[in-house]
Amino acid sequence: MRYGGGNRSRLLLIILIVSSLFLITLDLRGVQVLDGLRSGSQTVLSPFQKAGNTVASPFKNFSSDITHLGRTRNQLEQLRAENFNLRTKLINRKNADAQLKQFKSMLDLAGTGDYKILSTKVISQGSTQSFSQTLTIDAGSNSGIRRNMTVICDSGLAGVVKEVYPNSALILLASDPSFRIGVRIAGTQQIGILSGQGSRKAVLQLIDNQTTLQVGDVLLARGSQQNRPFVPGVPVGSVVSVDNSAGAIAQSASVKFYTNFSALGVVAVVVGAPKTDPRDALVPVKPRPRPVPTITILVTPSPSPSATK
Amino acid sequence: MITRQLTFSALIFLFMYTLQESLINQVRLPGGGFSIFIIFALVWSAMSTPEVGAVAGFGAGFLVDLSPSSSGPVGQWTLIMILTCFGIAFLGFGDDKSRGNPITILFLVVAGVFLSEVAFLITGALLGVNLGSISQIVIILIGMSIWTLLITPFTLPIFSRFHAFTFDTGSRI
Repeated sequence: MRYGGGNRSRLLLIILIVSSLFLITLDLRGVQVLDGLRSGSQTVLSPFQKAGNTVASPFKNFSSDITHLGRTRNQLEQLRAENFNLRTKLINRKNADAQLKQFKSMLDLAGTGDYKILSTKVISQGSTQSFSQTLTIDAGSNSGIRRNMTVICDSGLAGVVKEVYPNSALILLASDPSFRIGVRIAGTQQIGILSGQGSRKAVLQLIDNQTTLQVGDVLLARGSQQNRPFVPGVPVGSVVSVDNSAGAIAQSASVKFYTNFSALGVVAVVVGAPKTDPRDALVPVKPRPRPVPTITILVTPSPSPSATK
Repeated sequence: MITRQLTFSALIFLFMYTLQESLINQVRLPGGGFSIFIIFALVWSAMSTPEVGAVAGFGAGFLVDLSPSSSGPVGQWTLIMILTCFGIAFLGFGDDKSRGNPITILFLVVAGVFLSEVAFLITGALLGVNLGSISQIVIILIGMSIWTLLITPFTLPIFSRFHAFTFDTGSRI
């Protein structure tokens, strides 16, 4: 027997749909109550996310762990308990080493650019069900973080502070489709607008159509008024391909971010901007090609060749 | 009786929501991963009456909307989840062969996840939400559907026990 429906259930469905439409209208009109609800939910979730981060840290490199498990199955059967502890320690150590390396590079970057930064740990990654790219850090307004502050990582720009809660903050990653940043090309100083595309690739549109772009051109943040949301000089990415279509109004290019957004363990919020624009000081140094050594083998024939029978 | 059912349902939904936000979201899986909370809400609706499905969809959608990482306006996921959960509950209701069949529920849940994501894209486009490149959207849509297909069979017995406990029904999957 199929459900035929009744007046009561139809009425309930209509009430619920109208309620959701009412919520959408309120949110689009910028009613503060709904912002407060989201803020409250993040405040409640923050301790759980910190705990979850601790629990999930050994499983974050899921794919590589599975591969290694297959190789060492026999050893695991013999020394399962001991090996598990050692692996957990090793993963935690690797995790800590990677974070330390990221911290060091981040401090180098901030030092060169003269940025005053606040180092933070990533405690949660935003769900992709809404096609957005966000993450949550373990510091908030109590630590001096405010909305629209630049967020950097070891390799360059990571994103911008979108929402701030007392002990955590939501970061909108540069890869988010709604992310836009004014950039300039190192060297030529031409300016353009970079848009996130939901992945590590982004689209650059130059403002001046007369400019020519080249693959490998480095993009730096242009900076905003009063340095918010963006401080100047932060490395953003490099051009990987140029769109040279004749009918285009403005020249565009595909850009690859320096930042690997799926491997962010620690990030830094720029809480103090530099007094002077660092210009091109933060352009990443290109790796120098190492010469391949030529191996020469000298063979000296013996004066009396051995006879074979 | 209704108070007990409502209380247990709310507690279980909040628990699943916290699990999703604090633990599942920590692990970056290829193809966008999965949402255990949406899977749970859809399984719950598939085993319920259309009225309960609609209310469950309202609650689940509202919680998804409250997630700080949700990009759309508050109410967008609520609307989508009401319609999806009601639709799933409506399709299975009155037909014990479908409601008791795990394969049917699995199919309904995977279809529900896929359709709710497509609905989010369409409504998001209408409301001016930036959604990213087509290739990325396709990867996430296919990835989430495959993950849901893989995860649901393992979670179905647990969710069915939660449902049976809450509504005092003897039937489980």
